[in-house]
Parts: sequence; structure tokens; C-alpha cells
Amino acid sequence: MKINIPDDMREILDEFLIEADEILEQLDQDLVELEENPNDKELLNKIFRGMHTLKGGAGFLNLTSIVEIAHKIEDIFNKLRNDELQLNSEMMDVILEGIDKLKEGLERLKEEDEIPDEDEVKEIVKKLEAILEGKNPNEVSSNNQNEQSKESNSQDFEEFEFVEGVDEDIKELIKKFGAKDLAELLEDIILLAPDERPPLEVVEKLEKLIEEGKDIKDLIRPKKKEEKQEEKKEEPQQASQQQPQKQEETKPAKTTQPVKKEEQKKVEKKKKSDKKEDVIRVDVERVEVLMNLVGELVLDRNRIVKLASSLTVEQNKKDESTLEELIEAINGMSRTVSDLQDAVMKLRMQPVKKIFSKFPRIVRDLAKKLNKKVQLILEGEDTEIDRSILDKLEDPLIHLVRNAIDHGIEPPEERVKMGKPEVGTIKLGAYQEGDRIIIYIEDDGRGIDPEKIKQKAIEKGLITPEQAANMSDKEAFELIFLPGFSTAEQVSDVSGRGVGMDVVAATIHALRGNIEIESQPGKGTKIIMKLPLTVAIIRTLMVAVNDRIFAIPLFSVVEIVRYKPENVKKVGHFKSLMLRDEVYLLFTLNELFEIEDKKEKEFVVIVKVGEKNIAIAVEELFGEEEIVIKPLGELLEDVKGIAGATITGDGKVVLIVDPNSLISDKKTQLAGVI
Amino acid sequence: MAENENKDMQVLGIKTVEEEIVNEERVITFRLNNELVGIDINDITKITKDVEITPVPKTKEYILGVMNLRGNILPVVSLKKMFHLEDKEEDYESPVVIVVETDLGQIGTTVDKIEGAVKISPDDIQPPPMNAIGIDPEYIKGVVMLPDDLLILLDIKKIFKKEDKNG
Repeated sequence: MKINIPDDMREILDEFLIEADEILEQLDQDLVELEENPNDKELLNKIFRGMHTLKGGAGFLNLTSIVEIAHKIEDIFNKLRNDELQLNSEMMDVILEGIDKLKEGLERLKEEDEIPDEDEVKEIVKKLEAILEGKNPNEVSSNNQNEQSKESNSQDFEEFEFVEGVDEDIKELIKKFGAKDLAELLEDIILLAPDERPPLEVVEKLEKLIEEGKDIKDLIRPKKKEEKQEEKKEEPQQASQQQPQKQEETKPAKTTQPVKKEEQKKVEKKKKSDKKEDVIRVDVERVEVLMNLVGELVLDRNRIVKLASSLTVEQNKKDESTLEELIEAINGMSRTVSDLQDAVMKLRMQPVKKIFSKFPRIVRDLAKKLNKKVQLILEGEDTEIDRSILDKLEDPLIHLVRNAIDHGIEPPEERVKMGKPEVGTIKLGAYQEGDRIIIYIEDDGRGIDPEKIKQKAIEKGLITPEQAANMSDKEAFELIFLPGFSTAEQVSDVSGRGVGMDVVAATIHALRGNIEIESQPGKGTKIIMKLPLTVAIIRTLMVAVNDRIFAIPLFSVVEIVRYKPENVKKVGHFKSLMLRDEVYLLFTLNELFEIEDKKEKEFVVIVKVGEKNIAIAVEELFGEEEIVIKPLGELLEDVKGIAGATITGDGKVVLIVDPNSLISDKKTQLAGVI
Repeated sequence: MAENENKDMQVLGIKTVEEEIVNEERVITFRLNNELVGIDINDITKITKDVEITPVPKTKEYILGVMNLRGNILPVVSLKKMFHLEDKEEDYESPVVIVVETDLGQIGTTVDKIEGAVKISPDDIQPPPMNAIGIDPEYIKGVVMLPDDLLILLDIKKIFKKEDKNG
């Protein structure tokens, strides 16, 4: 249904949409939490208030179908908080479905100025009503619900009657599972345990009906009866709230409505202002521009500081005091620029909560689908990270959490047999460590068997049996990140086929992060990602080979030593460097980049690549520099070994090395050598 | 000014002339070896000399490297290498770079020598002759017969397009 928003209402609509988004985002998390503590009064109140606000706003804007859903959910929570209803998992499914409809509706409103028609929401509203009436809307028969379902069966029966000629078995089915879409009914039946499932011929009959294009509406007709009952039952307070609602739906009573609305709003605003800080919304692009400008400023600052340090008092005896003053001024400016850089950087920071909050719902739905019992623990939700990194993290995290539920957490029976708690635990957390953000996903599932991994890698031709024999467990786990590797014995529809762990690893590397796996068979798996706080400015080490300058990000540099030919040995195809008691695999930057190699190497930079430290020999070393990363343009997006480029103070372009992708080109040959 | 002229012409009843003026295309022409080649001026952001090109390792042969254009970094491509035309080292010592606007962002292209701007009418553009020129007809809008030379018009949008990064 197209809605018409007059210009003067636009702002109110926009504000409503933002508020609604906030409420719904929080709601997903609250609801899952509620499922664990169904009697948490505070939580129930909070959800009730949220829905109430949403309903109020939608009512003011005359968004009837949104109001209808929100209103029903609000009523349910009112009953829940007054102990008139007891929450169960099936009810939660319906409520979540309702929330999804709300989200969908608001999304459409945002994009197309359209809200769902009454028809589209009829089904969900019916289901929600059923809950209000104390019925179980989805009627999935499980042992402890048998009593309830018997009751509601008879009620259901009162509500509708069958049209003539409906098969007896099908009637039974509908009575048992409630009147719903036949395809949905079929799905429910298939999901049942085999001993609870109706006989095969009944399923076939149902399938036949669906094939014929029959809908539930073709089989039953409603018996209008106790419709009114429910409304009478409602408390007076509830009824009064409902009153203005009705008015709005029939005619837009604009004269009286806004006043009332204002009052309601005020109360809510007060409640909110306790928690909420003052916020202005700024276009991301503007922050981006600001960030770039500050980046340039930082480069200029670095250049000025360098120049100033080369000015000596001896050269400028006459202007000694001026020089001192100048240097003092430069130092002052330098500090301010640093502070400015920090401040602008903070503008782009957002708490990981923004994506973490989606996970309770994801975990809940997946666990249910896979018949596993999982609790999710979120840690360090307030940890902040650069927004552009955060946005790219969502897909990898979803993939990893899915993996953990699908492959990690065992089915409940298996867990009990192994002496583990029936409910598996997945921890998703974040914390800051220096200038890095650590994000981890930990499960207490079956863990990863390194021997299995090696076996698989040999089968796939990724490594040779000899390489496998020399491999540590940690190195074996790293094999998982190789393209073309997937340990799942069969591809389930949950972990999917498209994105593999190699894509996850590539995404993290592209953000200049690391990813590691720790796992103990039988005990669980922990996946740790280390990410930079920000993407725009990094500290690098400037090196050169063959007169070409490269910048190596400092966070991957472990150590710098002088190149001594006597410490270099040739082992098979590769060279190795002996340093103290350690042996490192050694490459020249020339060979890694396929650059002509004719000069003596002077220095060796030891970089950390995944689990290993690798030595890279270079010809010249210029020291540290802070740089702004710029992209190379779309044509050069996929270049291996280059993370981007920067422009130095004198206008030259210097390429930034990405050690991870540089070495990973050689990784398959390398597996097992180091 | 131009408007006044047009009005004058309308008064004189010379409508057709006005139309030809509107349809005219301006093309920057340059040499790739002996061929006279042109790019629509609307596709060109900047023509520049004396740029420093930083080579990027492990890329396609025709990608010479990257350059700095007003604080932005853009790839630089050798049109000769891309079209598999004969080239010499000296070509890249102080090349002329034409920066073009493409679906892949701004890209610098090296050419031998700028010849100047010509005005052409779309009607003059003819389909490229088979095998007469060394450039893949895929990349060409057409050719124009100039008084003393054949002008090959490049189709920049086709040369640098999204789905085919290999060029």
C-alpha cells in the first residue's frame, strides 16, 4: 500500500524510522535473552515500552499495518509482564516472525514509501492473536505440550469448520497443527521426529493438495464466534490505549491526535534521555573527506618535522632565537595534529555491538534448525573499531559462527555422552590490545583434528605426505584457510558452499588483519582475528630494492637485522637465515615481487605472516614513516602482495606491501617446509 | 555569443547549420607509432607530461604502474602494449599521459605525441575497415577520413569496462 507523506511530515517520518530501527535492533537481542530468562520483569517491561513507542509513532503517521502488528506484540508483552501468559519457544517463533514482518514493512517504507497491505499482515496478526487468546499458534507437538495442544485443538476446531469433501487425514492434520499455509504445514511435518510423523500416505496426500495449488483457505471456512471475547478481557488501561488507535485507523483525527502524541512522546523522551547521549548524524562521506584532509596534514607535518630537524643552529647563527621559536612552534603544531588525527579517527569508530547484536538471533535460529542446543555469550561489546572495518566483518563473523554451530557444537545427545553440558557455548568477543582489536569466536564443541586436516589436504593435493609429517598442529590448522579446502564431509545448507574459510581469511587479510585457529579435539575451537584499529593511517617501514621504494606495515615487522651472507644457507629450493638459535625461511623482496636482482642485500626484515616469521632481504632501509593508505584504483584491485599506495611529501607514489598476500602466493609450496 | 549567432541564423532561416554545430564532436588526436588515433574529449580528464610512473610488480604487462594525479593514485596503462603494437623503451622515458574517465575510475594512458584537437561530425564516422589497422576493432568506435590521414576513434568505455578487467 502506497502511503502519502506530506513534506512537513517527512522529518517526523525520518525520525520515526531511525527510532524504529534502534528499537528493533535492540529487540532481537532482548528477545533471545528473554527466552533464557522468561520471567525477567525488567526485560519484559523494556520490550513492552519499545513496542509501545513503535506503535505510537506508527499510529501518528497512520501506518496501519505496522500499527496492527506492533499493537498485537505490545499486547502480548503486556500480558507476559502481568503474568497472564507464559512464554514458550513456539510463541517466541511467532513473535520473532512478527518482528521480521515489522522490519520488512519499515524497510519498504524507507525505500518505496510503501507499507504492507492489511492482507499481507493478516496471517501474522492472526497468529499473534492466537497467542493472546492463550493458544499455541504453530502447534508443534512435543511431549510437554501435549496437554496444551489438546486444549487448543478443540478451540481451533470451534474457530473454523471444514468445507465438504476434505480428506479425513488432512482434517486430522489441520486440527493437530492448526490452520496454516499447507506448504508450511508440510515443512513442519517433515521436521518432526520420525516416530511423531504422520504415516507416509498422509504426507503424500498433503503434497498432492499442494501440487493442485490448494490453499488452506480452500479447505476451511472460519466460524465466527468468540472474536470479541479477547478484547473484553483486556485491562481497562489497555483499552484506553487502544481507543485512540481505532480512531486513527478509521479517520485521521489530526486535530486531537497530535496533542496526545506529544504527551506520550514527552514521557518516552524523558526515559530515553537518561541513557542516550546527544548525537548528531553525519554523512559518512563527510567524515571520509575530513579523514583524508587530516591524512594529508599528517604527511605535511611529518615532512616539516623532518626538515626542521635538519636545520641546525650552526647554519643559522644569526637567527638563533627565531630558529628556536620556529622549532617550538613546529612541536606545538605537531602535537595538535596528532590530537586532531586521534579525534577524527574516533569519529569513525563504532562499537562492535553494532554487528554483535545480530548474533543472538542468528545463533538461536541456526541452533533450532540444526537441532542443537547453543547458548551465545557476547563479550566486550563496547569495544570500538573503525566503521569501514566493522562493516566488512559481518559476513566473515556470520560464517565463522555458522561453522561453530554446524561443525563445532555436537548434537545434545552426543554432548551428554561425552560428559559435556547438554547446551553448547559459543563466545563471541572483542577487546583492544595496543593498536589492534582482537575479535574471537570460541566454542566448546568437538574441536578440529589436525590429522584429519592433513589427510584432507593430502587428498586434495594441497600438500605432500612428507610435508604433512613435518607439520605442527598450528600449521595444520592454517591449511583450512587455503583455497579449495573444506573439512565438512558433506556440504550442509547452513555452512553453505559458496564462501569458504579461504574467503574469510582473505577478507581479514585485506583489512590488514591476521586470523588464527586454536583447537583441541573434543574440547573446542577458538578462532582469533587481530585487526587494525583504523584503516586510513598506518606506520610503515620504508625499504628499497633496485631503487624502488616499498613501505612495509610496521605491525607485521618483528625485527630488523643486518644481512650477513655467512648466516644464509640454501635448503632445497629455498634459502634460510640462521639468527641466534632460530632458522627463518629467507626471500629477497626482489624475488617476491619478480624484480631484477643485481645489488647486494644490506638488511633483513623479519615479518610475521600468519603463524610464521619469514625473513625478507632488502637492499636499502629508510626508517619509519606514518602514511595514509590510498587505493590503487579498480584496475589494480587484485594485485597480489600490494595493499595500496601512498604519496610521499615530494609527490612520489610508494607502494605498500601486504606481506600476507605476498607470501600466500608461495604458501602452497611452502606448507610443511617451515 | 553562440546563442546570438544561432538566433541570427534562425532569422536567416539556416536551421540545418545550427544542428550540425550541436552534433559536432571534439576529439583529441595523437599518434601511436604511425597511426593517428583519437579519443572523445568528453572522456578525457587531463593531458599531462613529465609524470613519474611507479611500477607495480606482478601485474599485466600493459600496466606500467601508478601515478599521482592531484593526490589521487591512478593506474597507468600503455595503449601500445594493450593493443599489441610495436613499442620501444624510449616510448616510456617521458611519455605523454592522457587521463581518461572510465567505469573503472580514472586511468592514465601513454601515447606518443599529441597532434591536436579536431572537430568531427558523427555522420563522418565509418565502421573500421577489416584488418587495415593493427588495433582490435572491438576497441574502436569507427574511423574518420581526414583530408590527409585516417583517424581511428577509440571507444574508451569498451577498452576499460567492469566485467572484463583483463582489458
